[in-house]
Amino acid sequence: MKLTRLGAAIVAASLVVAACGGTSSGAKTLKIGISLPLSGSSLASAGPARDGALLAIKEANAAGTIKGYTLAPYVLDHAVNGQYDTQQGAKDMTTFVSDSAVMAVVGPFNSAVAKVQIPISNEAGLLQCSPANTNPDLTKGDGGKQLRAANPDKINYVRVATTDDIQGPAVAQFGVQDLGLKNIVIIDDQSVYGKGLADQFAAEWTKLGGTVVDRQGADPKTTDFLPILTKFASESPDSLFFGGVTANGGGLIRKQMPQAGLGDIPLLGGDGIQDQNGGVAGSYINIAGAAAANSYSSVAAIHDIPDAAAFKDKFTAEYKTDPGAYAASGYACAQVIIKAIETAASKGDVTREAVRAAGSDPNTTFDTVLGPIKFDAVGDTNQKIISLYKVDMALADGKGDWAFVKQINYGQ
Amino acid sequence: MTAPATSAEAPPARSLSGPAAQLAVQLALVAAVLAGAFAVLGPEQFINALTLGSIYALIAIGYTMVYGIIELINFAHGDVFMVGTFVSLALLGTLGFTAAVHDPLLLVVLLAGDFLVTMILLGVVGVVIERTAYRPLRTAPRLAPLITAIGVSFILQNLVQGVPPYFGYGPYATNAPQIFPTDAFLRVGGTNVPVLSLLILAVALGLMITLQLFVGRTRIGRSMRSTALDRDAAALMGVNINRTIAITFFIGSALAGAAGVTYGLQYGVTRFDLGFQAGLKAFTAAVLGGIGNTIGAALGGFIIGFIEVGAAAMGQARWGPAIVFGALVVVLVFRPAGLLGQQVGERA
Repeated sequence: MKLTRLGAAIVAASLVVAACGGTSSGAKTLKIGISLPLSGSSLASAGPARDGALLAIKEANAAGTIKGYTLAPYVLDHAVNGQYDTQQGAKDMTTFVSDSAVMAVVGPFNSAVAKVQIPISNEAGLLQCSPANTNPDLTKGDGGKQLRAANPDKINYVRVATTDDIQGPAVAQFGVQDLGLKNIVIIDDQSVYGKGLADQFAAEWTKLGGTVVDRQGADPKTTDFLPILTKFASESPDSLFFGGVTANGGGLIRKQMPQAGLGDIPLLGGDGIQDQNGGVAGSYINIAGAAAANSYSSVAAIHDIPDAAAFKDKFTAEYKTDPGAYAASGYACAQVIIKAIETAASKGDVTREAVRAAGSDPNTTFDTVLGPIKFDAVGDTNQKIISLYKVDMALADGKGDWAFVKQINYGQ
Repeated sequence: MTAPATSAEAPPARSLSGPAAQLAVQLALVAAVLAGAFAVLGPEQFINALTLGSIYALIAIGYTMVYGIIELINFAHGDVFMVGTFVSLALLGTLGFTAAVHDPLLLVVLLAGDFLVTMILLGVVGVVIERTAYRPLRTAPRLAPLITAIGVSFILQNLVQGVPPYFGYGPYATNAPQIFPTDAFLRVGGTNVPVLSLLILAVALGLMITLQLFVGRTRIGRSMRSTALDRDAAALMGVNINRTIAITFFIGSALAGAAGVTYGLQYGVTRFDLGFQAGLKAFTAAVLGGIGNTIGAALGGFIIGFIEVGAAAMGQARWGPAIVFGALVVVLVFRPAGLLGQQVGERA
């Protein structure tokens, strides 16, 4: 008896929800999924990307960019216990796919999540734009082909960040040529992103005449890096590279380096440790504390965006905070998707397939906040710019923040 | 054979006769492991391993004590340790100490206070957990308290996270105050020995010896041993079972609290899910040494510390956890009761 009543209640509740969804407004609603890790340590870096995407969607609605349709963001958080979770990412993508109103998805943030999401979105022909994925194998070569096995010729995954086969070498060049470093030790967090980045970095470092003195992979759950660092210290390196994300130990390694006698050498990393300032709980600088100084990181995207002041103004007006590292990238991804829907709508064909085709069209130039962007035959951006940062402990009221050093354009 | 509950000084021995001889053999084993490790690892890594091992050992002892007395795998024990790290950091944070303290007198007072308050608070937490989650199920099938243990684990993790940003620490890594200077070194024969590591080792060894004396020489210790051996017989002989079990939880959880304090001092960071990994390692340590046996748990903790550090020292840090669990399998195949054997009643 009880069960039947419960069942009836669920049916009734879902009817109410369905009714509400159907009668919201005159214009038809199209949903844009946002799939990012949005709690715990991941929020510090992925939160701004979500905010950027939400802002672009809000502006498009206000401007009435797509006639006859309202765009609704549909945000799903795939962080579990404060860290990105590939299983949850896959589940969320399935949720998007099964909701026919979802036209495209912004995300994900981490390459490991992209690896499980792309096969699902590819099979459904759902356009996906990542603001931050950098692992080259997601699109290029055999790795990319395997992920697109269901529809090999229909590119449905594009990204506005460039790839680690550019980012890794860029950091290596910066270390050898600008910082004059030679003997490096490497730790990676054994993730798709971290190991891949470290591989690319190490190859270029050696090519430039530097020496990789030692390299170790560390369990992402470990909090004790002293044994690894102690071994490194006995090999007298002049720098350390970390391939991985803050949540897997980035800040902790920096914090423990002085304990192992490596406090004086710089730590280099990729975009995985580039998150918010030292005042934000769980960020690299916050965890590393005073030891954070002398850390370098990169972002696989443009820093000097064409109209930075205007973007900053409207972002700050909306969220009362400065845009974080990925705010513009999230905004740009939403712009790409909105433009794709607009193109599809102008042809009177608002379907996933039309949106996908428009969004991944190699001949279209997307006018985004990052500047004009074109995607190549596999969905990678033609804007190949790496920005480099250094921790400045004087910023953010003495709590420390990433200060822009320079950006290198590999596009020409 | 005399009734176990009345033989005051004789814990049940499996292979050797006489508690003194047995203790001597166990200590000799520990010494052998240490000597071997020192030879292989070299002084710096040896100290790293001792420090990590001390923390594992302190947690493992609580695990093993609870198993010894009520045969419950207390899955919440790792989370009790995690709560310890947060109690310690909250305590120091409230007092306004977030950086290294260089005044020796103040440092000693702070550390003593930190250890004392955290251990007592955590002991109380342990007693409350036992009273609410395990005691009502003491006569239930064994699976039932196992499930409530997992429930307690979830409750503790979520209590610590709270509802950010209103209260609690959220699902982030939170910095723990490293009030003991991490850059203080003693120079011993060409090796820089961190003073903090010595402190952690001294605290761990001090607590272990105290525990050993407490269990072996006091009246309460005797009731603990008799309860572990045969609860019904102990009750018939006038032992207050409920009180004895509560005291066991108090001691085990207080030791986890001490581990939490040392962890915060050493690594300067903690997270709400720290207890899972720590609990898994400590459980492994307890089984490795022989579950129910406190010296075995300590030995197991140090062995795991040495394996993990050893793997990193050989450049194979990523294989550390695999080797730990591999070692566990090997030990269990050849010595199903663990390295030092179980010291629980015949039912085990």
